[in-house]
Amino acid sequence: MEATIEVTGLRKRFGSTLALDDMSFVAAPGQVTGFVGPNGAGKSTTMRVILGLDAPDQGSALISGQPYARLRRPLSHIGAMLDAAALQPGRSARNHLLWLAHSQGLSGRRVDEVLERAGLTSAARRKAGGFSLGMRQRLGIAAAMLGDPPVLMFDEPFNGMDPEGIAWMRGYLRQLAAEGRAVLVSSHLMSELQDSADHLVVAGRGTVIADSSVAELIAAASADRVTLRTSTRPEAMTVLAHAGAVVAATGRDTLTVSGLAAEQVVARLSESGVGFWEISAHRATLEEAYMELTRDAVEFRAQPAGEEVR
Amino acid sequence: MSQTMTHGRNQTMTIARHRLPRSAGTARARADGAGRAWTGLADALWAEWTKLRTEPGTAWILAAICVLTVAVGAATAAATRCSGGTGCAIDPTKVSLTGIEAGQAVVAVLAVLVISGEYSTGMIAVTFTAMPRRAAVLAAKAATLTGLVLAAAVVAVAGSLAAGRLILAGNGITAAHGFAVVSLAHGSTVRAAAGSVLYLALVGLLSLGIATIVRDSAAATGAVLGMLYVPPVIALFLGSEPAWQRWVERYTPTNAGLAILNTTGLRDLVISPWAGLGVLAAWAAAALLAAGVLLHLRDA
Amino acid sequence: MTATITPYRPPQQDGRDGFAQLLHAEWTKFRTLRGWVIAIVVAAAAIAVVGVLLPHSSQSHCGSRSGAACLALVATGPGGEAVNDSYYLAAQPLAVDGSITVRLTSLTGLVTPDPNLPTTGPQDTMRPGLVPWAKAGIIITASTRPGAAYVAMMVTGSHGVRLQYDYTSDIAGLPGSVSAASPRWLRLARSGDVVTGYDSADGRGWTEVGVAHLAGLTGTVRAGMFATSPLVFFPNFPTYAEPGGSLSASLATGAFDDVHLSGGAPGGRWAGQNVGTIGANYDGPRIGLRQAGGKFTVTGSGDIGPVVAAGTNSIFITGTLADHLFGVFIGLLIMIVIAAMFITVEYRRGLIAATLAASPRRGRLLAAKAVVIGMATFALGSAAAAVAVIVGTRIAHNSGIYVLGSGWPIEVRVILGTGAMLAVASVLALSIAAMLRRSVAAVAAVVVVIVLPYIIGVTGILPATASEWILRVTPAAGFAVEQSVPQYQQVVGHYGPPDYYPLAPWSGFAVLCLYAAVALGLAAWLLRRRDA
Repeated sequence: MEATIEVTGLRKRFGSTLALDDMSFVAAPGQVTGFVGPNGAGKSTTMRVILGLDAPDQGSALISGQPYARLRRPLSHIGAMLDAAALQPGRSARNHLLWLAHSQGLSGRRVDEVLERAGLTSAARRKAGGFSLGMRQRLGIAAAMLGDPPVLMFDEPFNGMDPEGIAWMRGYLRQLAAEGRAVLVSSHLMSELQDSADHLVVAGRGTVIADSSVAELIAAASADRVTLRTSTRPEAMTVLAHAGAVVAATGRDTLTVSGLAAEQVVARLSESGVGFWEISAHRATLEEAYMELTRDAVEFRAQPAGEEVR
Repeated sequence: MSQTMTHGRNQTMTIARHRLPRSAGTARARADGAGRAWTGLADALWAEWTKLRTEPGTAWILAAICVLTVAVGAATAAATRCSGGTGCAIDPTKVSLTGIEAGQAVVAVLAVLVISGEYSTGMIAVTFTAMPRRAAVLAAKAATLTGLVLAAAVVAVAGSLAAGRLILAGNGITAAHGFAVVSLAHGSTVRAAAGSVLYLALVGLLSLGIATIVRDSAAATGAVLGMLYVPPVIALFLGSEPAWQRWVERYTPTNAGLAILNTTGLRDLVISPWAGLGVLAAWAAAALLAAGVLLHLRDA
Repeated sequence: MTATITPYRPPQQDGRDGFAQLLHAEWTKFRTLRGWVIAIVVAAAAIAVVGVLLPHSSQSHCGSRSGAACLALVATGPGGEAVNDSYYLAAQPLAVDGSITVRLTSLTGLVTPDPNLPTTGPQDTMRPGLVPWAKAGIIITASTRPGAAYVAMMVTGSHGVRLQYDYTSDIAGLPGSVSAASPRWLRLARSGDVVTGYDSADGRGWTEVGVAHLAGLTGTVRAGMFATSPLVFFPNFPTYAEPGGSLSASLATGAFDDVHLSGGAPGGRWAGQNVGTIGANYDGPRIGLRQAGGKFTVTGSGDIGPVVAAGTNSIFITGTLADHLFGVFIGLLIMIVIAAMFITVEYRRGLIAATLAASPRRGRLLAAKAVVIGMATFALGSAAAAVAVIVGTRIAHNSGIYVLGSGWPIEVRVILGTGAMLAVASVLALSIAAMLRRSVAAVAAVVVVIVLPYIIGVTGILPATASEWILRVTPAAGFAVEQSVPQYQQVVGHYGPPDYYPLAPWSGFAVLCLYAAVALGLAAWLLRRRDA
């Protein structure tokens, strides 16, 4: 069976809150699937349902075609890091991995291997309660890799990492995907996901809003905007308006042209002999694409800075 | 004021210290420096009171104290009979108030929750950041806890006496048969009732002290309940060592404190009622003092 | 990023996923947390230390001797148990098979009044009355050495006619009290070492009451009339457990006539003697034999029967194995707190997610935790109980304290039973904590459910019937495994904790096991149903 995570039609209610409302997506092998959404979109709940921690009211979550409860040695099928702080402070890092290893029939040698891969060998005998946030994250990743699973699931792995840690994490995720594993990563840091993820699942209010590759998502949000800098603004505006574009003046010598592709703008201006000295096709960032998609789905929005709350 | 600093060799710089204008606020602040200590405590009290009253479990626990005390007292009264009609050594007030031996467990649990809950959730850091004077925090917790426990205890004791008197009368244990009277018009009953209310409050304070020392909520619960319930059994088993047995019966918290329940047979008691309550008070004070010192010395 | 990449297949790893791995993981979890390990060891230490140091540091004093020398005075019956064997005997030797037959027309006695009740008149005088087990009748005994084999037919104060032999056996005969209007005929017929007892209400129709085979009854035995009446124990106040109190003497007098001894030497005379000093408690002028024609009155004091705990004899101090297990309830308190923490800490820090992700079969997970905590507490608890019992009984022996129920079979049963009780109670605590999940509530609940009933039942806050009910019905019934000596219906003693429990040892343990099984099942069901 191919290594995937398949989530189909999940529905889950906590008391009066509908946390999941028909959540469906697939995380395929060989790529990093980003799982994004505003706070309260149901990302953590979905991950808990995948791991069999919470039971859905409807729907199913399958790992490599099987529900979690039926997996033999589950940590060798899927490795997950949900909450890096889920440690007993009195236990050393090595011992924390040791009992996990023992539950899968693995030995202390495997524990030492993953500790080395995560760069925690020197801190292995220290009590987990004294770990910094970044070290706890790395310990969580080591735990996820204990069974060498083909499927990996990380909940906000970039949280609390310093820049060096983020760079390491980015490379690590890409490497895991290059090895053919299925990697599902949830995050708020769009800038990180833009460079690490291949596929994106955007969630909002318990359901999937968008499910496509990162390139397509960005392209869809780029909305064909061209920024033009010219010294002969009125002429340029006239020419482009004739061509059917919507032109806005956004600065002393800058124009923003919507509705025409960049090469057509160049063609029209050249035809009419209007000069310009800078033209750039506007490419949305993932963050902008995401903000636009989830504008309606945000549940908890803080007041933008500068506005007063009355 | 100016200050002279010597830099390198024979180079001096004169720095003029700018005198800040004395604001009106500083004058006022200096005048009520002592008053600030009291406002600090008052603020802490208000904060702790708010914490307790907005915690939904608090009301349930207070209700449980009352219900459990009255229920156990009523059950004991119902099971108390005198087969001969007269001549049994039964102390009606004590029988009615037996329930506080069960209610004290709930009081202890409340005390543990008041302090250990903060440590387990990490909220203790927030508390000490807002109110850095830790002794004030402990005092405020003690005061609010005591207030609530006293209120619940009054209800519990009143209910126990009423229920006990009714049930015992049904079993034939009345004044007409030669038993002591359960009535708040009698000094001995008043002493037992008031003492019981104080007993529960002191148990709460003792538990608060121990829980603050132990910090971990599960271990604190075990320690506190052990402190309350283990010594009486130890005393029982010390039959072959009368000297030690006497010491345990006189100077451990529950053994001593429960002497306040007695209204008859006072001559045969190991320790007199008020002295027993005093022993319990001493334990509570020692626990709170140790807790305060440790709170000050340890990291949050 | 859309190049086809072959999905990752991990290289074959050795590793298995079974219950054994779960156990290994939970054991690793337990042993790597130093605080828990220390706590369990402290619990065991408490059991051992308290059991060795606490009880009976005083010495037996018997006359001019003290300490272990007093133990030489203890009489033991044919079964090896310590016995009281003192009575007044009027007997003749019986060399061959034969029988003795008498008619009893009255049984009277003197008792000491209860010092706790208000009385009129001087306190010290004994007044007429019969204790329930006052005895007068006929006896065939191997010798007058205390602890010798015997068979006796007797009338008792309020239990009718009884056949008793070898101290522990007791068979009922005709009910009702004896008087001139309703006399009782008693007969003992001996052939070899088999003695048969008969009774009759009219002297003509005889009913066989029972047959006794006694190994020590060969050759010349003594057959005759006897009377005895046991010590009475007045507790200071009517609580259930270990009360202080006083022992008081009583007397019984039987009036015999129509005495026939077949098989005795012709012309034999009835010789009276006071048999045994252990347990004798009244040695005054009233004791003895009075003979007028064919009528005999025999007056005696003491008891023929097993020694039970709680001081119904006044010569040497007795103890039981349970005296050395006073620390068990402290060890139990610590162990159930640790058992509760074993599962509540997982919920406190969200560790439960990691645990359940590694082992999604939740029923098995709970079972693995139960096995780990149960084995740990069983091993340490049994070891500690062994130290307490073995070392403690040695010390008691050296102080001249007779430990009832000592001896390997009973000691092993008590030691292993205590360990098993601690283990099952820990599993019960684990189950309750798994249901409640919050640590303060869980610890409070397990203490209230498991330890508090024991404390209430033992310290006697409630009346005796309520305490007894508590020790039957609540998990505290498990403490019955500590009982090392049986209760005897024919001996009035104080049968309360810590030496005696209302249920037999394995019955009490079964009650505790039932609680644990139900709680464990409920906890597993809830664990499966609820979100993590």
